[in-house]
Amino acid sequence: MWWRNTINELVKIATKIRSYIGIGALTLLIFIVLFAMKADGKSYIGFVTASFEQTLSFNGKILNGNLIAFIIMQMLIVHVPLLISLVTGDLLSGEEAAGTVRMLATKPITRTSIVLSKWFSATIYTLIMTVWLGFLSLFVAKWMFGSGDLIVLNSNGLLIIPEADLAWRFGLALIIAFLALWTVATLSLAFSAFAKNSVGPIVSTMAVIILFTIIGTLDVSVFDSIKPYMFTTHMAAWRSVFEDPYPSYEILESIIILSAHIIILLGITILRFNKKDITS
Amino acid sequence: MSLIEVTQLAKNFKSFHAVRDVSFHVNEGDVFGFLGPNGAGKSTTIRCLLSLIRPSFGEIKFFDKSLKENRAEVLTKVGCIIEKPDFYKYLSAQRNLEIFARISGKDITKRQIQEMIDFVGLNGREGDKVSGFSHGMKQRLGIAQTLLHNPDVIILDEPTTGLDPQGIIEVRNLILRLRDEQKKTVLLSSHQLSEIEIIANRMVIINQGKTIVEGEVQALLEKQSLNLEITVENKNPFEGLMLSKFPNLVVRNVYKSTYHVEMIEDIRIPLIEALVNAGCGVKSVIPKRSLEDFFIKMTEK
Repeated sequence: MWWRNTINELVKIATKIRSYIGIGALTLLIFIVLFAMKADGKSYIGFVTASFEQTLSFNGKILNGNLIAFIIMQMLIVHVPLLISLVTGDLLSGEEAAGTVRMLATKPITRTSIVLSKWFSATIYTLIMTVWLGFLSLFVAKWMFGSGDLIVLNSNGLLIIPEADLAWRFGLALIIAFLALWTVATLSLAFSAFAKNSVGPIVSTMAVIILFTIIGTLDVSVFDSIKPYMFTTHMAAWRSVFEDPYPSYEILESIIILSAHIIILLGITILRFNKKDITS
Repeated sequence: MSLIEVTQLAKNFKSFHAVRDVSFHVNEGDVFGFLGPNGAGKSTTIRCLLSLIRPSFGEIKFFDKSLKENRAEVLTKVGCIIEKPDFYKYLSAQRNLEIFARISGKDITKRQIQEMIDFVGLNGREGDKVSGFSHGMKQRLGIAQTLLHNPDVIILDEPTTGLDPQGIIEVRNLILRLRDEQKKTVLLSSHQLSEIEIIANRMVIINQGKTIVEGEVQALLEKQSLNLEITVENKNPFEGLMLSKFPNLVVRNVYKSTYHVEMIEDIRIPLIEALVNAGCGVKSVIPKRSLEDFFIKMTEK
């Protein structure tokens, strides 16, 4: 029954217009970045490398597909959660708003199975968005700009990662990015179990992300004890993959904390939906 | 055999007691009328029957099994429409039925779905999106969804709300077909008391969250006093006759020369004979022993 309902959920997502808003917006944003880089990428890169040009000389093609992919991921990973919560925030609350929750909850399927089906569909949608982000930013960028070594500017200075060492790093970065987006999807699903329309869950999800991000950036000691456990602290953990040597312990810690958030939020959603009196 | 048995059902929403003490049973083959004024607790009771709401107290049994412990098994044998049938508007009628068929607990083929679409008269419109459907069409699609998995018990909560007279007749005929042709057991909640009077064989009336009366519709109606609405040409001999010969009857002038006459015993024939002989000019005599009167009496107590 769970699997049959999951098929239903995937059909619903696939036939809703709002599901394509996220994919469309993501595609548009990436192509805007690609176009901008094609048109004026050299001066953009020149601005970044200017401070090093007196001490270093750059040979080869700095503005390549790998660098563009890295820039796109950095720029968009903040905005993709909004596009994902557009769909996932509607999964339970949308049924409530449309009245279909009554039809659904009077079928011989447990409420836990209903939530798990929706969560699994949200996972698939998030995965599709991440893969699409990876495909466009990596493959299309490489096709447009060619390949080459990746220059990363971080707090330790300038790091050059050889092209041969990049495939696994991008792969791992996308997996961690997926985990972060999956946490956001589960958060909006949890809000969705408390709401009667989809506006609340979408706005609440973004409000939580903004609030936690602000807390995370505030250099105040009172928040120091909670910062390591906030999921927003680990949303940019994918970036650590592009350090050398890459901090495997920190990455593992981020994976554990994001996974814990997913499990706890899913538990809250199941509990809430099971206890809910459907009066609409 | 009782297919549905509700015992001392109660539901509280914080300090508000929506249902206090509702008990009734529905026998196999019944078309069971579920009546009560607005706010009586009908919808809450029906939602409890369908596990949409958790009861605070009491027991619900279907097929002699507890709903709480056998929810999935019970709901496989139950079909329902709660108030208005809501569907995924962005999907076609057929796709909607496919979605609900998948989680009905039974294997339903596309052919069976098509047969059900034909049964409710939506053939030719199955590919259209539900967003373009009228209320009547959605109601018919709701009935198709209800019957799709061939349930033994059908629960219909206000199925004719918002329908035009033609739609009401269609739904009523459909319920009669379910009873007569498919031998289904139907629990029908409705504000259309005349509808219950026509199609239900048993009923319960609830008020302020409590069961007021339960039993056979005809037996309950026969217990109450008989009322007549009499229209005459000459008011004076009518009023004189009533005072002199029938002082025990309760007579009320309702409009011009139309009177409402309430009697305990059935004395229609001697009364009409006396009116004719007294030259009242009897224009019409309409018996008014209806479920509506009974319902008002019961819920006014």
